[in-house]
Amino acid sequence: MVMACRVINKRRHVGLQQLSSFAETGRTFLGPVKSSKFVIDEECHESVLISSTVRLLESLDLTSAVGQLLNEAVQAQNNTYRTGTSTLLCLVGAWSSAAEECLHLGVPISLIVSVMSEGLNSCIEEIVSLQVPIQNVFDCIDNTKTFSGLETLNVSLYPFLQIPSDTGLMQKKHDLKDVASQSLVIYSLPGRPVKSPKLFGPQAKVEADKNTSQTPQTLGNSLLADTHCRRSVLTHSRHFSRADNNQRISKRDGFLEQHSAATLKTYRCNDLLELEVGLSHGDDSSMKLVDEAVQLQYQNAGVQQGGRAVPFLFDISGIFTCCLPGLPETLSCVCPGYVTVVSISRTALIEELQKQPIRVVLVEGDLTENYRHLGFNKPANIKTVSESMKVEPDSSEELWTNHVLQVLIKFNVNLVLSQGNVSECLIEKCTHSKRLVVGSVNGSVMQAFAEASGAVQVAYITQVNENCVGSGVCVTFWRSIPFDAVDGTSRMAILLKTEGMNLVTVVLTSPVTAQMQTKEDRFWACAYRLHYALKEQKVLLGGGAVEFLCLSHLQILAEQSLHKGNQDSSGWFHNTSSWLASSLALYRPTVLKCLADGWHRYLSTLLCNTASYSSEFEANTFIQHHLQNAADSGSPSSYILNEYSKRKSGIFNSGISNKLEQIPSVYDIVTPKIEAWRRALDLVLLVLQTDSEIITGLGRTQIKSQDSEGFLFL
Amino acid sequence: MMSRVEAKKPSSCESEPLTSERVRVTLSVLKGVMTSCYGPAGRLKQLHNGRGGSVRTTSQSAALLTGLPVSHPVLKILVASVQNHVSCFSDCGLFTAILCCNLVENVQRIGLPPTTVIKLNKHLLSLCTSYLTSEACGCRIPVDFSCTQILLCLVRSILTSKPACMLTRKEIDHVSTLILRVFLLTIPENAKDRIILGKSVIIPLKGQRVTDSTVLPGILIEIPEVQLMKILPIKKSDSFKVALFCASLSGDLSDTGEGTLVVSYRVSLENAVLDQLLNLGRQLVSDHVDLVMCQKVIHPSLKQFLRTHGVTAIDRVGVALMEPLSKATGTQPIGSLASISPSSYGSVKDLGTAKFGSKRFFHLIPNEATVCSLLLCSRNDTAWDELKLTSQTALHALQLTIREPCVLLGGGCTETHMAAYIRHKTRSEPESILQDSACTQTELQLISEAFCGALESVAGSLEHDGGEMLTDGTYGHFWSVQADSSSVVNWPDLLSRCGCGLHSCRGELGWSFLRSPCPPFSPVTCLPPHEAAGAANNLTLDCFTAKLSGLQVAVETANLILDLSYVIEDKN
Repeated sequence: MVMACRVINKRRHVGLQQLSSFAETGRTFLGPVKSSKFVIDEECHESVLISSTVRLLESLDLTSAVGQLLNEAVQAQNNTYRTGTSTLLCLVGAWSSAAEECLHLGVPISLIVSVMSEGLNSCIEEIVSLQVPIQNVFDCIDNTKTFSGLETLNVSLYPFLQIPSDTGLMQKKHDLKDVASQSLVIYSLPGRPVKSPKLFGPQAKVEADKNTSQTPQTLGNSLLADTHCRRSVLTHSRHFSRADNNQRISKRDGFLEQHSAATLKTYRCNDLLELEVGLSHGDDSSMKLVDEAVQLQYQNAGVQQGGRAVPFLFDISGIFTCCLPGLPETLSCVCPGYVTVVSISRTALIEELQKQPIRVVLVEGDLTENYRHLGFNKPANIKTVSESMKVEPDSSEELWTNHVLQVLIKFNVNLVLSQGNVSECLIEKCTHSKRLVVGSVNGSVMQAFAEASGAVQVAYITQVNENCVGSGVCVTFWRSIPFDAVDGTSRMAILLKTEGMNLVTVVLTSPVTAQMQTKEDRFWACAYRLHYALKEQKVLLGGGAVEFLCLSHLQILAEQSLHKGNQDSSGWFHNTSSWLASSLALYRPTVLKCLADGWHRYLSTLLCNTASYSSEFEANTFIQHHLQNAADSGSPSSYILNEYSKRKSGIFNSGISNKLEQIPSVYDIVTPKIEAWRRALDLVLLVLQTDSEIITGLGRTQIKSQDSEGFLFL
Repeated sequence: MMSRVEAKKPSSCESEPLTSERVRVTLSVLKGVMTSCYGPAGRLKQLHNGRGGSVRTTSQSAALLTGLPVSHPVLKILVASVQNHVSCFSDCGLFTAILCCNLVENVQRIGLPPTTVIKLNKHLLSLCTSYLTSEACGCRIPVDFSCTQILLCLVRSILTSKPACMLTRKEIDHVSTLILRVFLLTIPENAKDRIILGKSVIIPLKGQRVTDSTVLPGILIEIPEVQLMKILPIKKSDSFKVALFCASLSGDLSDTGEGTLVVSYRVSLENAVLDQLLNLGRQLVSDHVDLVMCQKVIHPSLKQFLRTHGVTAIDRVGVALMEPLSKATGTQPIGSLASISPSSYGSVKDLGTAKFGSKRFFHLIPNEATVCSLLLCSRNDTAWDELKLTSQTALHALQLTIREPCVLLGGGCTETHMAAYIRHKTRSEPESILQDSACTQTELQLISEAFCGALESVAGSLEHDGGEMLTDGTYGHFWSVQADSSSVVNWPDLLSRCGCGLHSCRGELGWSFLRSPCPPFSPVTCLPPHEAAGAANNLTLDCFTAKLSGLQVAVETANLILDLSYVIEDKN
């Protein structure tokens, strides 16, 4: 086997260039406003609509080694945290360019690796100052009181904000009603104890309609929708408002006088709804569903524990999603129990069964005659011979089906749930006999049923005995709306639940089938964000605050190392014997600046994506301006916290409303974000340190002559 | 029917393979690949199949050589020999390969007849070996097992030299401590006349932070998701009786042989096997077994039967865990479904469950505590694969250090020190060698220069960023400095410590560039004791046995390659 070995040229690091170009493809996924893309397969002309980094990389054909490593990193981040993948991709691209820049400037590779790693560590330590601890969010939940004092955001707060004519960046799929509900930014004044779970309900919509008539800047109804949508997104970020900047410039002196004595406010988040709003990043519809799911779980837990003082933990494994494409979006809801779809011919059966609780048998694996458990190897060389001439009337399948039915009748079981496929023949027979068989049930759902109903999962129906049968399961219709499945057969959604089951199903509906996946992904992103926030009991201030702090911190570090010189180099390079340790001081400012460029590019991409700036140049100017302020103020973290406190206490009074307008905080989760940064840097440094690709299994003739430059053969 | 007969191609015979251009080029390519991976600043290689498949990014010889198919027989000898060394000693694979390539290249340039060269190489090798094993050796440090410093330095050096693990300094310290702890846990407490070391199992936890890695005594067996809801092990006050099966209990007919099996219609083979399994289950229950473990799958009906009788069943243990389990529990793995002899049962002290990250494990605590599990975490697959290989190397190095309680200085210092010693010895006392090998003084000088040059080149391969390499004229250690320093006269300004970290540049040590000829000197052969103690925290060390063996393998393989006069290949 001849083997080729291609050396990555020092002048152009091919691996890093490939990384940057891959990362470019996902640039528009960064931030709360994402632009969807179509990925088209040229061979079979199929296309898929994607709105997230994970789906993008899944759809692309990544055959190169670097592409596979990138895919692996993104999949790992997604599988563990389900969020932060766009951050990962953007930073991978930005830092690849940064590393290439360092290479051009002649910095030795080992130094780039050490300084960048230590720089990132230093940033991660620094952002602790922007953490917001979460305490006792579940203490004040009480849904018997109604919500009062709904504060809405007045659009006229931002008179200088221009809407770019390029609305191609907007998501056009929202209908007006949805947008109106999204435009409401609900928050709470600290100290108000009560929020109703019907926060995003119809009452809020009424307020929105009232609000729209007040705005002086209506540019036409169609654009109004866009305006509202963009407003809500922009209010979630304290950076992304030009009015902020302009007003500050005009009233700078006044503000500074007022707040010169302001001490650093320590933030605390005590309210679940404030946390949820902050974590939603503009995706109110998904977060509303998450909130309902959490409320349901809380109620269930309260009922089960009977008032004992055990702190409630949000259990994300107890949430399940059911996607029903083709139904209107307003039907999305959260139900306790398990929602699944069955064929419409079972309607009569369900009507029978919904009268009383029924007994259930849980089957792991398929419910077919020739299913054998995992690990069973069917021998291929067995021949069955019949000695008698009598022809058996029933086939083995018939025999088996009858046997299953007998078992079900014997134990008085009316419901069978199976994790795998179920034979059609069996379903028909059972339906005649008033028994429901549901297949393709998720494993965790089975476990939830097992726990709650007392059933034990079996692999074969022959194992069923009295101990394995569970009881107390109720079957009802979810709603009596049949809908058309993708293959044209009519389906119906049913709800199965048991007393004491910890399972909550979120039913997601979308009129556009292509967007079903996106909707599900968005839901899980919100759910996991809340899960991690509650698990770690802390969040970070969001909206780019953390990245801005890292950026200014690195710039300050670079300045310091320029002036300080050789001192303070210890700890930045592990191998103290090498000459690299002594020349560290020479190269460190350069490398730190390049690392900071990564965040600079991240922030400018974010700003451009959220459409508040139409070009990178403007975005960069804006960032530079704030960087200057932060550097002048001496302590970047206090500068950022000051900006936040100004916003929170409602400086920007408008003439129209006399109430103190408060802007809610935007939050972000800690560990997934940090891990995304680390993964991004790990990948970039890994590719940076790789100088050759060794490709096995290629014949000499298979390499084209124009590619063979740079190939060495072994 | 006639079968087509093809004329057999004649075998090809190549003479003097080392003189062919193709061999020289491929040898230098291989050397380039190995050299660029050497050391903590080494570059990584991406190994993958041209038709797709996973990518392995690595700089370690064990992974590189298995993934590197070579074509020419000369290279195959080299690769096979290095792989053999690595399978026995785990460490110093790259060192062996680079030294061997250097020796072959250097000696070829001289043009002496192979017989002379081989004899002289052998003498020089024995000179090295005797020096390294002698009392007064300037590059060997004895290991004091009452203090962990030196051992930690050894483990840390091994971890640092594999850049693809992507570890920060804190993580390196953490993992080094864990590896040392694993090693210490495998040493039995009651040492009789022979110490038999226990076993350690490395368990992956991908996606977690490296600092979450931990060591647990006993064995952890992962519980797959499906079984989470099954019965948790019952609590017992005394030990659990254990049966370990290596046969498959899944109820299938494992070996039906060739040909067709004819079965009557009314006979169900599966039911027959299931009956046999249930009989086995009844025997286990009547023998009061508490825990049944199987390498492969257990039939669900058998599992249910055992569960209803209070026996915990763990299946799909996997072949990798069989040996540690058998050792930990004292069982003999049962290979048949026939009746079980009572001597094959064993016992464990305790059985519980543990949860790490999102995975759950059964935790078996054996009676004798020399088996432990190392839970290694890493952020991604690449880094984890490298980290696992490195940890295994480090553990092996520690085990070898028990046999020979000393370590060699790393960072290139041993190589330059030995080169200085050999140069000095062959010039000042050549008589014994000249007598034994019947060669002239000139030939001896040429070969010893080639040998020393090869050693120094290996040390020089540690530098990948364009720095200059120096050696000092007192201790013979390896120093590096940034490029373009030839105009500088005052070395102590630029240098901080030597490669191994033992010597700092206090005083004038007589530095000269590595490749430039310098007058031979006798390197100081005893270690300054106070310096050794003080700098012990930061020394770079190498495993003694592995390095010595690597040296021997390199020289012997080079001799073998240089001795080749004909290569006969069968082309069919």
